[in-house]
Amino acid sequence: MKRLASFLPALLIVFFSALIMSCTPGACFEETNAFLKASFYLDSSKEQVAPDSLTLSGLGQTDKIYNKAEGVQPALFPLNASAGNSTFIIRINGVYDTIEFSYSSFPHLISKECGYSVFHTLETPEFSQHNIDTILIMNRNITTVNEENIRIFY
Amino acid sequence: MRKIYVYFISLLFSLSAAELAAQDTVLFPLKIRVGFDLVGPGIYIYDNDHLSLEGYISFDKSEKMSFVLEGGYVDYKYSQYNYDYHSTGFFGRAGVDFNFLKPEISKGRYWAGLGLRYGLSIYDNETPMYDQDNYWGTFTSSIPLSSGTGHFIEVTPGFRTELLRNLSLGWTVRLKVLLSGGGGKDLKPIYLPGYGNGGKNATLGISYYISWNIAYKTKRVITKPVVVEEPEETEEEGVVKQNTGNM
Repeated sequence: MKRLASFLPALLIVFFSALIMSCTPGACFEETNAFLKASFYLDSSKEQVAPDSLTLSGLGQTDKIYNKAEGVQPALFPLNASAGNSTFIIRINGVYDTIEFSYSSFPHLISKECGYSVFHTLETPEFSQHNIDTILIMNRNITTVNEENIRIFY
Repeated sequence: MRKIYVYFISLLFSLSAAELAAQDTVLFPLKIRVGFDLVGPGIYIYDNDHLSLEGYISFDKSEKMSFVLEGGYVDYKYSQYNYDYHSTGFFGRAGVDFNFLKPEISKGRYWAGLGLRYGLSIYDNETPMYDQDNYWGTFTSSIPLSSGTGHFIEVTPGFRTELLRNLSLGWTVRLKVLLSGGGGKDLKPIYLPGYGNGGKNATLGISYYISWNIAYKTKRVITKPVVVEEPEETEEEGVVKQNTGNM
């Protein structure tokens, strides 16, 4: 029993540490929004080149996502989880175009502390071609992971 | 020659008997135990959204090892600013306990050791509300009720002591590893009955239980054999010399 008593302090520490760890609420340190990530390429050279000036906003929205921003690479497009498509007005180096993304949406649990995010599966986008030459889909899965989804050739 | 052979065989048996006569033994009661966990009801008094009821039965296979079967029911609700969650289900665990105390110390009344468990959880869960804010505004939706199954393993060090005749108290720390939680890669359970947070690959838990036990058998356990040294046999040399002359 003396040997048993010698282990008692260590085991009590383990006991109460486990109790504290299991009861302590955590905080959310993870990204909870799933953005469509778009990289910009010069159509003439096929090289990855950020626009000198980028302005981006959602159709019908007053706030701008980017307002004459320089060197944006990649651009993050927030998708509307309440609808099956989102339309954006994009201005690359002073020239306007529109891009419409269609997608399906589903919930994804980030963690107990963060809650749920909405992920999307991208379909083929439609776009005007005033400055945009083509859009290539690299990854249809739009998640919180920092992976390229589309390439915009301008 | 025959007399030499018979004498040496007799000598061998007499030496063995001398060794056995000096061994220590203890009568160890092998028991069946039935108990229930006190932590779950205690948490429910503090937090009415978390009900966990758990009981167990164990069977002493020997003074060192017991077979254990545990089971329980959980009703868990959780709410924060951006979602509500509800999970209910049953769980079961099967495994063994190893007693590290020597039989002459534990005497069937004390236990300090380690347990190993395999756990299975069957549950229903739903998210009545979740929302997310982004550029387009606040999006609110829900996830309907669905069923799932989870598996996990545990290592459970702990103590137990008999306070009164047939009544014991004990506690264990549960070191849990999730094998599979169900729900796919997108909708893992926030709470897996019997395990805890289904989003974590490993987690900790505690059990504090009271149990009633009864002995079903008494086993005589040899604790420490004592080797007794025998004095040298001088008569042996005289017999050998006499027999050598006849050959």
